[in-house]
Amino acid sequence: MKNGKKLLSLLMAGTMAAAAVGCSGSSNEDTYAPATEEAAEDAAEDAAEDAAEEEAADETADEAEDAGEAAEAQELDTSEHVDLVFYVMGDAPEDEQVVEDAINEKLNEKLNCSIDFQFSTWTDFQQKYSLELTSGGADLIYVANWLNFGRLAKSGAFLELDDILDTYCTDLRDLIGEERLNMCSVDGSVYAIPNTWPEYVSSGITYREDLRKQFDLPVPDSIENFEAYMKGIKDNMPDQPILAATTEESQGLQVAFDAAWALNLKYPWVTINGLPYGLAANYDTPEDVTDYWFSDDFVEDMKTMKRWADYGFWSKSALSDTNDSEAYKNGLCVAIPQGQNPAKYVSGVKDFEDAGQGWETAYLAYGEVTGVIYPGHATQNATSIVRGCKNPERALAVVQYFMTDEEMNRLVQCGIEGTHYTLADGDLYEAVPDTKFAYEGFSTWNLRNGDFKLMTENDALQNEMFDKLEKIGEKTKFPNTDIYSGFTEDYEAYSAERTAVSNVMRQYLAPLQAGLVDDVDAAVEEFRTKVTEAGLEKVREGFTSQWIAYCDEYGYK
Amino acid sequence: MKIKKGPASIIFNIISYTLLTLGSIGCVIPFIMILSGSFTDNKTILTKGYSLLPRDVTISAYQTIFKAPQDILQAYKMTFFYTGVGTAIGLMMITMTAYVISRKEFKYRNTVSFLIYFTSIFGGGTIPWYLMYSSVLGLKGSTLAIWFPALMSPFLVILMRTFIVGSVPDAITESAKIDGAGHVTIFSRIVMPVLGPGLATIGLFLALGYWNDWYRSSMFSTDSTTWELQFYLYDLLNASTAIKQMSQNIGIVTGDLPTQSVKLAMAVVSTGPVLLFYPFVQKYFVSGITVGAVKG
Repeated sequence: MKNGKKLLSLLMAGTMAAAAVGCSGSSNEDTYAPATEEAAEDAAEDAAEDAAEEEAADETADEAEDAGEAAEAQELDTSEHVDLVFYVMGDAPEDEQVVEDAINEKLNEKLNCSIDFQFSTWTDFQQKYSLELTSGGADLIYVANWLNFGRLAKSGAFLELDDILDTYCTDLRDLIGEERLNMCSVDGSVYAIPNTWPEYVSSGITYREDLRKQFDLPVPDSIENFEAYMKGIKDNMPDQPILAATTEESQGLQVAFDAAWALNLKYPWVTINGLPYGLAANYDTPEDVTDYWFSDDFVEDMKTMKRWADYGFWSKSALSDTNDSEAYKNGLCVAIPQGQNPAKYVSGVKDFEDAGQGWETAYLAYGEVTGVIYPGHATQNATSIVRGCKNPERALAVVQYFMTDEEMNRLVQCGIEGTHYTLADGDLYEAVPDTKFAYEGFSTWNLRNGDFKLMTENDALQNEMFDKLEKIGEKTKFPNTDIYSGFTEDYEAYSAERTAVSNVMRQYLAPLQAGLVDDVDAAVEEFRTKVTEAGLEKVREGFTSQWIAYCDEYGYK
Repeated sequence: MKIKKGPASIIFNIISYTLLTLGSIGCVIPFIMILSGSFTDNKTILTKGYSLLPRDVTISAYQTIFKAPQDILQAYKMTFFYTGVGTAIGLMMITMTAYVISRKEFKYRNTVSFLIYFTSIFGGGTIPWYLMYSSVLGLKGSTLAIWFPALMSPFLVILMRTFIVGSVPDAITESAKIDGAGHVTIFSRIVMPVLGPGLATIGLFLALGYWNDWYRSSMFSTDSTTWELQFYLYDLLNASTAIKQMSQNIGIVTGDLPTQSVKLAMAVVSTGPVLLFYPFVQKYFVSGITVGAVKG
């Protein structure tokens, strides 16, 4: 008995220690469930690495077999029926089963397999996404840069697709094209199949064109003109709130207050709001990293923000206000400098039309002023195969079927014609009233094929915008290429400092950028001191070396 | 007999009544805000903010919810199911476990108690927990995964054990034993009848836990027809925030997102029944908790 007790307590102590160790190393400040999520990711990585080793052994055997293969696609062995799971984001549409049945009928016939879409729902989706990878329940999975695609691919959560693409899915390879596939490759292997509908998600300013015309104000295409526009409205309509700026869309490591996004009018930065940690690099010279927070420009910009705050462009309680995404729609602000893109502009046009108050919205991408425009990175919407998938060839063949077959693509994206949507004028998508399968009801933005994508009413307007932006994008140094978003930062070595810097940004940079300080120079000094104390140097060094290595690797010089 | 009140006790009464009034106002106001908000026109909420009394009264929010009631009714049905099944089975298991570890003649009583207690301090964490249910037991997608994990909690077992020890003296069970009763008889005929307040308390804890849970649906449901009510509502809110954020990165067509007043009406609809739990068990509730605590 006594021995038993000793053993038991030893065991318990061991468990405790393990639990304690398991809890450390979690300091991801920008997630709401940091410990669990990060840990889940780690576990996913570990599991994936194990699987990777086995895989490698298999591959050598495969390679020997495939040695003499030609470039032509090989016939896939589909003698055995398989059931695949496709993990996608968002909520299930009401008619999930109906559409799935229709899809499976076709899949069964062509590839002798069936597919089941599983949905993350929007609750805790980041945590669940990591767990899904850990448990390996899915075969195909939606991936995106905002879901840490690069980091996960690096750690081996997904399968390399090069061989399967060359062996069985040449059609898919040809459809996507080498350039976009390259953008989805990590350390030389392709890990994801992007869609073929590059979108311009360029940030910009949305503003009220009707008010601008009414008071004869300038188009906000520079800091001065933006100020004149806002000031003009404030002078003419003293009760009209100007900006609904809060800190909510500025939680990253670049800016801390929404109104500061307007500064993008001034700088041709490589990405919107510049590099993180107060660094900056211009699009044309991405390797030339400069210091923004410690520059005179920064002081000047903060004085601009202070002036705007003094004019009363935003509420004095802006730092604690919650974000009201409907403010613009309801006339509670007359411009939005943060987080606007052509798609939002298009839905804004529709909102104003529906409201019928004669309001008019307009959109100016920052890139139209600075000349830096690029479509979204390929990893913005893509499909990967989870490592541990037992039938990767079949899974990729399904993706190929979804993306290269027009009928199938429409079925997956829009549901059943007649039941869920109708086509007006030949090819204009129109949902039936109260449709049980909305446009892209499976949230499969990753399966968009530009050639088959049915146009909706909104798309016409959006395409006009895209055409305009594409022309600017062509003239850049790296024509129509998003050079920033393929970069994956590995901040493990300085995650504590990174968190500290983020905290300082929330505490000292936010009031500075919101102009809610009495003395700008003193506040800038204080912020600089605090952020240096937080370990800015270490963070910057770590980031810069990785960034330059990345630019070298992809030839962004 | 009337006790004469001195000035001190009058002052005390004034202070305590004032504080209690303030406290209860603080508790009630949010409810009133929700209620009045749910009857307010959405546009008014957005432009003028919330108010204590509804302005521009309308029932359109409730009409929206009950226009297609099958979803919310299904969620209701499932929650009632999970609450009923979970509470019944959980109560039985907790009581039986508590009885066993309350018996002095059970040889490994301390070891078992310690094992139960230990899990209340150190858990395996989310990932092993998730893997256990989804991969090892293969429960993902089944309704079992939603009510099974919450059947027992160490806290409730310990509470119940303390309660049994406190309210059933050893002498009684001993005499029953002399009269020839086995453990089943002792448990069902002697211990259970005096456990009224304990059962009510722990039953209420369990039932509230089930009623308010959304996390297990979030983790294990693969089909929206098995969702718990709270998750159904929570996900509606999350969906609208996420879609708005997401549309920054991806061109998504934003469909009909719930408006402010609909959200509030949902909160009213979901809290309604749980308010009904309280009056029925309240009288046991206080005694149940204090008996267990003081005599522990």
